[in-house]
Amino acid sequence: MSSLRSEERTRAENLVSGLSARLNAHTLWDALMIIVPWLLAFLGTIFLLVRSSWLSPTAALVAAATALGLVALAIAFYYRSRKAELAESAGMLDRRAAGAREHFLTLTTIDRKNCPQTLLSRLQRDTERLSSQIELKRDFPYTIKNTTYGSAAAALAVVWLLYFLLPPAGALTAPSPARLRELAEQMAQAPELKALAEQLNSLAAKLENTALPEKERLSALQQAAQKVADQQKAQNEQQERDLLSRAAGELKQTEQQLSAGGQEQQNSQSQGGGNLQSNLPEEGKGGANQSQGSGGDGQTKMSAQTNKDMPQGKPSQQNPNEPGQGSAKDQTAQRQGPDKGDQPDPNRAEKNSDKEKTDPSRAGPREGSGKSQGADEPPQMTPPQERFYRAGEGKEELKGARYVTVQLPEEIVADAKGESKSTRAGTGGRARTQVPVSNVPLPPHVPNAPAEKQQLPVEYRGIIR
Amino acid sequence: MEPEQFQEIFGRLESEIRKVIVGHDEVIRKVLIAFFAGGHILLEGVPGLGKTLLVKSLSHALGMSFKRIQFTPDLMPSDIVGTEVLTETNGRREFQFKPGPIFAHVVLADEINRATPKTQSAVLEAMEEKQVTVFGESHMLDSPFMVLATQNPIELEGTYPLPEAQLDRFFFKLLVLPPSPDQLRDILKRTTGAEPTECLRVLPDDGGKLVNEMNRLLRQVMIAPPIEDYVVRLVHATQTSGEPGGAGNGSVRQFIRYGASPRGAQAVILGAKGNALVEGRVHVSYEDIEKVIVAALRHRIILNFQAEAENVTADQIIAEIMKQVRRN
Repeated sequence: MSSLRSEERTRAENLVSGLSARLNAHTLWDALMIIVPWLLAFLGTIFLLVRSSWLSPTAALVAAATALGLVALAIAFYYRSRKAELAESAGMLDRRAAGAREHFLTLTTIDRKNCPQTLLSRLQRDTERLSSQIELKRDFPYTIKNTTYGSAAAALAVVWLLYFLLPPAGALTAPSPARLRELAEQMAQAPELKALAEQLNSLAAKLENTALPEKERLSALQQAAQKVADQQKAQNEQQERDLLSRAAGELKQTEQQLSAGGQEQQNSQSQGGGNLQSNLPEEGKGGANQSQGSGGDGQTKMSAQTNKDMPQGKPSQQNPNEPGQGSAKDQTAQRQGPDKGDQPDPNRAEKNSDKEKTDPSRAGPREGSGKSQGADEPPQMTPPQERFYRAGEGKEELKGARYVTVQLPEEIVADAKGESKSTRAGTGGRARTQVPVSNVPLPPHVPNAPAEKQQLPVEYRGIIR
Repeated sequence: MEPEQFQEIFGRLESEIRKVIVGHDEVIRKVLIAFFAGGHILLEGVPGLGKTLLVKSLSHALGMSFKRIQFTPDLMPSDIVGTEVLTETNGRREFQFKPGPIFAHVVLADEINRATPKTQSAVLEAMEEKQVTVFGESHMLDSPFMVLATQNPIELEGTYPLPEAQLDRFFFKLLVLPPSPDQLRDILKRTTGAEPTECLRVLPDDGGKLVNEMNRLLRQVMIAPPIEDYVVRLVHATQTSGEPGGAGNGSVRQFIRYGASPRGAQAVILGAKGNALVEGRVHVSYEDIEKVIVAALRHRIILNFQAEAENVTADQIIAEIMKQVRRN
């Protein structure tokens, strides 16, 4: 009887431990199926990188070994965190077996030493009866989780993306000499293009040699391009023509890069790290963009370096938001300057004199005679005090200010009759019109009269009263 | 004793009491579980629901001595535990201990909240130590000993609510609810007929010995450590944050002044063990715990003013805790 009991106990316990082992195996499979696709994706990426010459084989080996180590660690961590406990397995069996109420759990976790044998054997009997309902393979099959599918799909998507994105990226970023050598290698297989291939190789060597002056590299490049163009004209074979056109394109691109690099270098040298602004016109770069007409008060900041329009010869545009610049009215006046009279307005000059005092560099162009200032004519830097008459000289206007007298048609008629309404005031000869004065009599004041609600028009007042 | 024998005796007792008491099946079962676990019961319900009849039927079915104490404000402790009286024997006068009504196997403390705290506390020692001390002399109570106290929840004028210390000594607090229409019809049929039904005695003459054996068996029932841990977490969850290890979350904690004591956890486990035996098992399941936890903890959780203001009961709090605490 006792041997039977121990056998029963072993069978019930085996079921729990068997389930536990099975669940642990499931966990391991889960870990492998979730993590391994990413490892494969990583290795595939490394392979692509090595093939595209972005990664050396040694670095790839190191990366692969590191990835393997990390994956092993990740699997171990996943397995440990999800490893099924005996109590957990027993709980699952309790839920699966009909009529079980923590039978497996109690049998698995109870401290047998402190339990009465009669009760323990009763529990074992009950559990054994329940365990006959359970078959581990049938009741606890391995099912692939959605996470696994998701992980595999995501890893596959990453590999596909890299597979398609890496070659264009490589083509974009690979150094030109390497691409030229690659082309030369392909050309060398055709006997007619062997000489050209050698030239391309030597060109690649020259391009890599940074000690060579830039001009020399550029001329070598142009020579090679010329030869490729000549060969292209003479070539009849489609495949070789393709190769040549690729070589031509490559050479053109390299030439552009080279020239752009040189220009960039020049720019950085000329800028000298600062951002100096000057309104001095540059020769050949939009020098005629400062109109110095009557409204052109020259407050527009015109920087030959910062204005992108200038190298293309476009007229520079004033930025109204920039502090210290002229108002919109001034801009209009500036635009209208060349069309409408070249006379500077002394009033405007007075208004702007304060600004000019603070920024004497801008005062120069206004001193001009109103003509469109030439690009080769530097602005005149006259101190403001010299532009006015001194105290006691009896004059208030600017020195050398000139005015235009405008006569209205009726004034001309009145002049002819000898009864001019306008008077001339001041020494400047400026026309000042007399303001007509109205002498309409006020209505008589009636103290108790009701306040008029609405003022009657003058012509109707007499009629109504 | 074998578990099957326990189950059989328990079943017979249940059926005999049900002959008299209509409905209240859960109350009857829990009263019996508490009896075999060695605990005391606090029955709460409005008058006329059969609380006293239940206790009388229990004592009758058990075949044990039964005493009833009607608690009133002028009841003195000596009226319960007994006193020394001067007697003359053979011309010699001496004090002799006259035992009070507490000296019985089943004691009904009817309307316990009507007596003064001094009298109520006289029952404390009897309940916990199963002995009373009069004039410095201790007197052991009969075994088994069970106090079934009743209290009326509506007539609160002139009552003295039981102090927490005394409440904690009750194994279960059971609510006796009004019967359903069908049950009421059945009650009327049984009680207004020519011959009122009476329950038969189940236990033999040496019933006390049998009850003690049943109590021993009940305590031997196995409980898995994860289930024990579940009880610990449930009881801990009733404790407020101020207490060390308090685990109750904000929604529960805001209504609790004091949580359940370790005696509450003991009551839960013993009650669950009794329930497991009654259901024919020798080990405790999670369901056993959930069946007895409300009765075991509802009087041990002291609610604060906010809970009273919002009409939150201890039962609701326990239900919420059971939702929050997960099984292992």
